[in-house]
Amino acid sequence: MIDMIAKEDPIISEEEAAQYDRQIRLWGLDAQKRLRGSRVLLVGLGGLGAEVAKNLILAGVKGLTMLDHEKVSQESCRAQFLVPVTAQGENRAQASLERAQYLNPMVEVRAQAERAEDQPDDFFLQFDAVCLTCCSRDLMVRVDQLCSKHNIKVFCGNVYGYYGYMFSDLGPEYNYVEEKPKMVKPSGDTNDGPKAKKAKVDPNETTMVKKTASFCSLKEALEVDWTTEKAKAGLKRTPVDYFLLHVLLKFRTDKGRDPAPQSSGEDARLLRQIRDDVLESMGLNRELLSDDFVSYCFSEMAPVCAVVGGVLGQEVVKALSQRDAPHKNIFFFDGRKGNGVVDYFGPQ
Amino acid sequence: MAVAESLSTCRVLVVGAGGIGCELLKNLVLTGFKNIEVIDLDIIDVSNLNRQFLFQKKHVGKSKAQVAKESVLQFCPTANITAYHDSIMNPDYNVEFFRNFMLVMNALDNRAARNHVNRMCLAADIPLIESGTAGYLGQVTVIKKGLTECYECQPKPTQKTFPGCTIRNTPSEPIHCIVWAKYLFNQLFGEEDADQEVSPDTADPEASCESITEARAMASETDGDIKRVSTKEWARSTGYDPAKLFNKLFKDDIMYLLTMDKLWKKRKAPLPLDWHQLESQGSLGLRSPVMGSRFAVGLKDQQVLGVWGYCQLFQHSIETLRSELQEKGDGAELVWDKDDAPALDFVTAAANLRMHIFSMTMKSRFDIKSMAGNIIPAIATTNAIIAGLIVMEGLKVVSGELESCRTIFLNKHPNLRKKLLVPCILDPPCANCYVCASRPEVTVKLNVLKTTVLALQDRILKERFGMVAPDVNIEDGKGTILISSEEGETDANNGKFLSDFGIRNGSRLQSDDFLQDYTLLINVLHAEDLEKDVEFEVVGDAPDKAPPPPSNQEDASSIANGNKDSAQPSTSNAAAEVDDVMIVESEGEEEEEASSSSAAAVPTSGTKRKHLDDETGEASVKRPRTNQSHEAADAEDDDDDDDIIALD
Repeated sequence: MIDMIAKEDPIISEEEAAQYDRQIRLWGLDAQKRLRGSRVLLVGLGGLGAEVAKNLILAGVKGLTMLDHEKVSQESCRAQFLVPVTAQGENRAQASLERAQYLNPMVEVRAQAERAEDQPDDFFLQFDAVCLTCCSRDLMVRVDQLCSKHNIKVFCGNVYGYYGYMFSDLGPEYNYVEEKPKMVKPSGDTNDGPKAKKAKVDPNETTMVKKTASFCSLKEALEVDWTTEKAKAGLKRTPVDYFLLHVLLKFRTDKGRDPAPQSSGEDARLLRQIRDDVLESMGLNRELLSDDFVSYCFSEMAPVCAVVGGVLGQEVVKALSQRDAPHKNIFFFDGRKGNGVVDYFGPQ
Repeated sequence: MAVAESLSTCRVLVVGAGGIGCELLKNLVLTGFKNIEVIDLDIIDVSNLNRQFLFQKKHVGKSKAQVAKESVLQFCPTANITAYHDSIMNPDYNVEFFRNFMLVMNALDNRAARNHVNRMCLAADIPLIESGTAGYLGQVTVIKKGLTECYECQPKPTQKTFPGCTIRNTPSEPIHCIVWAKYLFNQLFGEEDADQEVSPDTADPEASCESITEARAMASETDGDIKRVSTKEWARSTGYDPAKLFNKLFKDDIMYLLTMDKLWKKRKAPLPLDWHQLESQGSLGLRSPVMGSRFAVGLKDQQVLGVWGYCQLFQHSIETLRSELQEKGDGAELVWDKDDAPALDFVTAAANLRMHIFSMTMKSRFDIKSMAGNIIPAIATTNAIIAGLIVMEGLKVVSGELESCRTIFLNKHPNLRKKLLVPCILDPPCANCYVCASRPEVTVKLNVLKTTVLALQDRILKERFGMVAPDVNIEDGKGTILISSEEGETDANNGKFLSDFGIRNGSRLQSDDFLQDYTLLINVLHAEDLEKDVEFEVVGDAPDKAPPPPSNQEDASSIANGNKDSAQPSTSNAAAEVDDVMIVESEGEEEEEASSSSAAAVPTSGTKRKHLDDETGEASVKRPRTNQSHEAADAEDDDDDDDIIALD
């Protein structure tokens, strides 16, 4: 069981202690060391990818490999902050490399100008965590299935206009710790004054509690059967974002890309059509997801990338450091409402 | 498309270029905002680099606002950015300055500046987006005059202060010892302050009276009249001899405390230490530390030494500080700074020795630095999320969609309704807010015979009511000027008591801050029965409850520049407590999306408040806001300003 991956060098350098001081004070030295021993693969350097890259590099992972086959386009100045404005036509990952490395020289940042689809299984196995953005459903399902078997943590996410999501698969038996305040019973020995008659939380002492969580695969999360009575009963409390996600994933499967402003008219029509098809195939009413969404899911909005990238980045940090309860298993952000929810999809 | 045009033409102001500020600037330019002004008085520190991503190591020491601008221009050369390395409270930034902007966004980390910008935006009638982060938690809200609550509508928890006798006689928590050690630093090396006494407090109401005369005979301050010899003078007279200082503070003074036996009837009595005894024990090989400032390395900093180890640290830090003082010459004073190694060494040693004496578990230098320096843990992701939300709200403001603006809370974990981000409808202004009401008025309880004009100016008008340069006149038919913001004009009044000017119960004082365009009418309620250590009370403030979980304590005043507030534990290491409060707060305040039937089913506990449900129009019972509302995310980080000392 690759639960405790041995990390070399238990000593933290003076440079690291100084730079990471404010986060060590939050998640502790242990967590920082685990981060420091972790290698992460990030696929897709669009708006969301750049945010995740920044967050993980700042956090101080051992290495981050950025993989992308796309080229820097004309909208690069508005899309993400790692590519220089002069980099049009270059590969997105390679163009992002320099600025990404500057964020934290202590991290080994690499760029690969390749398609994730073309990588052999072995490629993914060299990482502790894999983070997939701008990927098709099939690719994500495949990579998730492969990595999960090898105890590699898998994260998926994307931003569509005002909407965004992130999914986690930390395996069927994910162990972590939570820091809880210690309960202190009054005793004659401690100097608690006349007020301490009852057991109280000692604000100065905490204890680490071990916990376990179980995650399902992306395939299972997406293939929930909504025709059962139980599922139908739960429908009211289910964020409609889940169905929106299905629509957008199907769009990418069909068109090989996300909805784009350049073809907004045609894409809008297709989105509505896909919505009808998807909901019908699930045995659900097409009114579950109103037409509204269509106007708001084009291109990546920078602030939405920041929100989703922040949540996703923090989940990766948590999982690599095995500390604090992970979100299970999908986070949805609706930028129009300012709503951010976490819900579980998959077998109970 | 109209929005796109607004974005490229409107001017916006970002106040602060730190954790939230860096992320915010990036989001603004990527979203299409073209004309941005950013202001920050601070310079870059290495501890900023884990999250303030516009800065690199080579920038340490440079102006945050300036470097932020340069970095942003790297990836967006067409942005029009103006950077000010300055304080927003500088009178140059007057109401006219604020009126230039369509939107102001705060990215601050202290209450005083927030109060000030709040007032400036009210005066200029410009929408303000307020935000804050602490650890994993964060919050964003929108403030618009006449439409929403202003930043000061809800009383914020004031800085946690400890009574003098707790600090001087009966500490029961590490923080009491740390505050004591910081006072001691000032008494010995810094600016002496009558409110920062470290010697045993004979006037402690809990102490027994009979023992006092006896004790006085044994008092350690037998080398002179206590009143005339200051701690610093006494220390100087011993040549800052560490062993002598040690024995006075940790042996003689403790023995004095022991004579006040009433104090120890229900408490564990302190155990005095003797330098020479410890020295001989120490030489037998008890754990001893590596010395002095080499404690900087992470791992070592987290070690807890033995008593003799802290004795040695006490000695070495005194010797270093003593030299520093000598070097500076006559009348020199040192200022406490958590990043100054010998200063922190001294406080670590003194606090730990005192903790040991009072049977508390000693703490590592790392932990003491957190508490003494009021450090708020901070990470990139929380700031990134909050800054993203700020721009989302900003877009609504710029599109004229103020009604769709929300307060949004970021939780550490999803709440009972699965929400990690909780949007809440904005509250309307408080009718009796002492800042944004049409004719703000407040009643202050104080003793006119004992309150000086200077205290009124500094403690009440500036600290408590957030004025920067107050002008005060008495409503006595003659408009007698009590305080003038013009330098020097009313200095002669400073030492006089309010009663000297005929001020008594029922008097009214009109206080203006011209820059903030703010007038506050103060009704004086004379009282002679205020609690010890309490100089004044604002009538109508929620009375102090049982202290909130330490993580909600806020330290708002500092010795150095400006005020720093923090909702983050200065007494605890776990950020978890703040989280619980946030969840409790946001539970009842959510925007309801479902139908009325499910609204009824929403779990409520006690007196939770529901906002107006924008679908069913239901309004329900208001809950009295506790001091913990919104507060957890009030602060961002602390690294620039130094120390917070709880007022005695």
